[in-house]
Amino acid sequence: MVAVRYLAVLALLVLTGPALAESVLDRPPDRTYDKVIESGYLRVGVYENFPPYSFVQDGEPAGVDVDVGRAIAKKLGVDFQVHWITPDETLQDDLRNNVWKGHYLAKRRIADVMMRVPYDTDYAYMTESTGEMVNEEVVMFGPYQKEQWQIAYDPNDLEAVQTVAVFQYNPIGVEIDSLPDFYLSSAFRGRMRNQTHHYHSIGEAFDAMVANEVSAIMGMRAEVDYLLATDPDHRFKLAENGFPGIAKQQWDVGMAVKSSHRQLKYAIEAAADKMVRDGEMKAIYEHYGLRYGLPAYYEEVLGQAEE
Amino acid sequence: MYATRFGKQFAASALALAVSWSVQAAGVTDDDLLNDQDTVDDVVTYGMGLQGQRYSPMNDLSTENVKQLQPVWAFSFGGEKQRGQESQPLVKDGVMYVSASYSRVYAIDAKTGEEIWQYDARLPDGIMPCCDVVNRGVALYGDKVIFGTLDAKLVALNKDTGKVVWIKKVADYQAGYSITAAPIIVKGKLITGVSGGEFGIVGKVEAYDPNTGEILWTRPTVEGHMGYVYKDGKKIENGISGGAPGKTWPGDMWKNGGAATWLGGTYDPETDSLFFGTGNPAPWNSHLRPGDNLFSSSRLAIDPDDGSIKWHFQTTPHDGWDYDGVNELVSFDLKENGKTIKAAATADRNGFMYVLNRENGDFIRGFPFVDKITWAKGLDENGRPIYTDNGRPGDPADMKGEKGKVVVAQPAFLGGKNWMPIAYNPNTELFYVPSNEWSMDIWNEPVSYKKGAAYLGAGFTIKPAHDNYIGVLRAMDPKTGKEVWRYENTAPLWGGVMTTAGNLVFTGTPEGYFKAFDAKTGKELYKFNTGTGIVGTPITWKMGGEQYVSITTGWGGAVPLWGGEVAKVVKDFNQGGTVWTFKLPNDNVASR
Repeated sequence: MVAVRYLAVLALLVLTGPALAESVLDRPPDRTYDKVIESGYLRVGVYENFPPYSFVQDGEPAGVDVDVGRAIAKKLGVDFQVHWITPDETLQDDLRNNVWKGHYLAKRRIADVMMRVPYDTDYAYMTESTGEMVNEEVVMFGPYQKEQWQIAYDPNDLEAVQTVAVFQYNPIGVEIDSLPDFYLSSAFRGRMRNQTHHYHSIGEAFDAMVANEVSAIMGMRAEVDYLLATDPDHRFKLAENGFPGIAKQQWDVGMAVKSSHRQLKYAIEAAADKMVRDGEMKAIYEHYGLRYGLPAYYEEVLGQAEE
Repeated sequence: MYATRFGKQFAASALALAVSWSVQAAGVTDDDLLNDQDTVDDVVTYGMGLQGQRYSPMNDLSTENVKQLQPVWAFSFGGEKQRGQESQPLVKDGVMYVSASYSRVYAIDAKTGEEIWQYDARLPDGIMPCCDVVNRGVALYGDKVIFGTLDAKLVALNKDTGKVVWIKKVADYQAGYSITAAPIIVKGKLITGVSGGEFGIVGKVEAYDPNTGEILWTRPTVEGHMGYVYKDGKKIENGISGGAPGKTWPGDMWKNGGAATWLGGTYDPETDSLFFGTGNPAPWNSHLRPGDNLFSSSRLAIDPDDGSIKWHFQTTPHDGWDYDGVNELVSFDLKENGKTIKAAATADRNGFMYVLNRENGDFIRGFPFVDKITWAKGLDENGRPIYTDNGRPGDPADMKGEKGKVVVAQPAFLGGKNWMPIAYNPNTELFYVPSNEWSMDIWNEPVSYKKGAAYLGAGFTIKPAHDNYIGVLRAMDPKTGKEVWRYENTAPLWGGVMTTAGNLVFTGTPEGYFKAFDAKTGKELYKFNTGTGIVGTPITWKMGGEQYVSITTGWGGAVPLWGGEVAKVVKDFNQGGTVWTFKLPNDNVASR
């Protein structure tokens, strides 16, 4: 009961609808496109304390996802309103708590659109054992970035990182309960396990590298780019290794709205699409010192190579 | 200097005197707590006695007259907040103290059911408790009512007014900690554990001064972490749990090893030991953490004076099924071969019931209390499980982009028994165990994401083991390991049990029935429909010469959140939030 670490939102899906007799006031607001426009604001869901994507800087929401959200709101002709998301154990939990149902402690607190939702048709159409769609309550759309894994290392400790094999002998920091954690703790029969150091965030892992506790860190490329950009000494280097054994090495990131809010989805999709095509999206990434990964979706559509 | 020190000492002893006076003058004393199991006029401990037997020596209510039991009052928790009501009420001097979901506490006139005061904890925005918003009860001491909140604080209230006396943060809710269990008070110390399933937490047991909320000692439940005692405002090292880090964990994983003490503990005055169960190890994928991962999924005997670990017994070493090991350890005298052994028993999530020597933690015997266990073939002579080949869920790192092989495990991770407390009757010498018959399919997900990133996830479905029932209330004989009787229930049982000298066993069902059974035969003698599911634990006490029985009702808890295919059985149960109180009609008492 303590642990809620499985992908098990299934029961909740079964239990929604008329089975739970709730008062009207206890339901999340049904903010369709018309209501968003009429209200004059768009409530954009972003993860809290998650640089460089979404965080607070000088008391104001900042980061790539916040800036993308602001630009979309502007294109819709409404104000931007931030909705901070406390991450739960899986994306399904976050979608339930923030997009379509609301968390049971605060059901009315819900975002009109959630950023940083992976755009992956396999995931979107995943079914449970009964054949029902797991994610039918939301629609995922609008890929705006391709993300991937990245290692950065301290050249004082390591000459280079050509393969991850060096982490059998050299300590590497990861964010706890992330894929880099799982990968380094289990790949090659656990031969890198004892060198894997766990931190509560990739930022803490980076601080440990600065303090010479670990020789390298592994995280998402934008996170690592951002940390390296903030280091005044610029003493760390990006590794060029592969990640043998990781099934999904790159993935597109988009957005999600409630599945009944298609009109809102089309409007946001059009706004984001324009930003990708006219370079505004890339500029936002570059503003934060990040490389921009054009989503695979656009590589196919535009026939354009990344970078 | 000298004068100042003298002055301080004087002030301190005067304070101590004042405190002990006030304790005697008003409310619950240490003696009240130690004798709770024998005194019928009150219920002042979670467990109806610190040993947690949940046995009452009262026999006014008996197998003969229990069918005439009638409600005398019902009290609604009110508001829009409902969900699971897992609380056990306490009663002292004609006042009932009971907690409710969302960290609420009520004082109720035990005679009339009228509210005296209500306290609603102010919970922060963005709090994410993992498993419903339950609270399992309060502690009473002196003039205070003390309980733990979903945001991991201890709150002491004045018993007469409900006003806050002190609030103390036990752990950081933002790091994933919470408190749902009832604290206990032992030798003038307030003892609490912590909840938290998120990766990155470390379980602990802590003692506080119930008068001021000051911390007295802390004991981490994961090997490698330092315990501390606090004296005169100083934090003094008191030994590393398990002696040193890394003995049963790889790398630095002990730093975030889990082992939450989320169900609270019991206390045995004869051995002067606190008994706490510990939760599962983190991370969930056991392939990442070869080793026994102490002290996860264990029972710990802890010295109440300084928090030292006296002994441990691990039920599921290297837990890979989320079996967890928090279940309560209930002290009892095992009379066997002409000898009386200071024993204790516990019914584990993993499906085995264990009888231990409570003086040293030695394994006496263990046996299944569920019909089927797939993950282990049995227990060896030390009580360690003999694992089944291929019974362990697969390593998500072996995923090749398709759904992984399905491993069927029974019991399901919600356990042969979950949080709901067992009861022991010294007359029948039987344990009454609310249990469930269910299995789970576990597989590795082909595609999974977390916080915007690819992730390795496992999927699972819980399935009823039988078509017509899941819950089984069992009478288990600790001497033979045999089931003496059973009552089968359609929905999973999720409420606690109480037994009495009237040869009765009481419990509630998610269907909403409050029920009484013959403790020797299991014959159902009484049922009353409370209108919502029962996941609380009954109590009984005497007032004005009559025996009263109370239970909190209100469907919720973990089953509707994680029930898988079990959801079909429970989806039509309505929520609620009521304390029901029963007694015999007056004329029946008179004619008895």
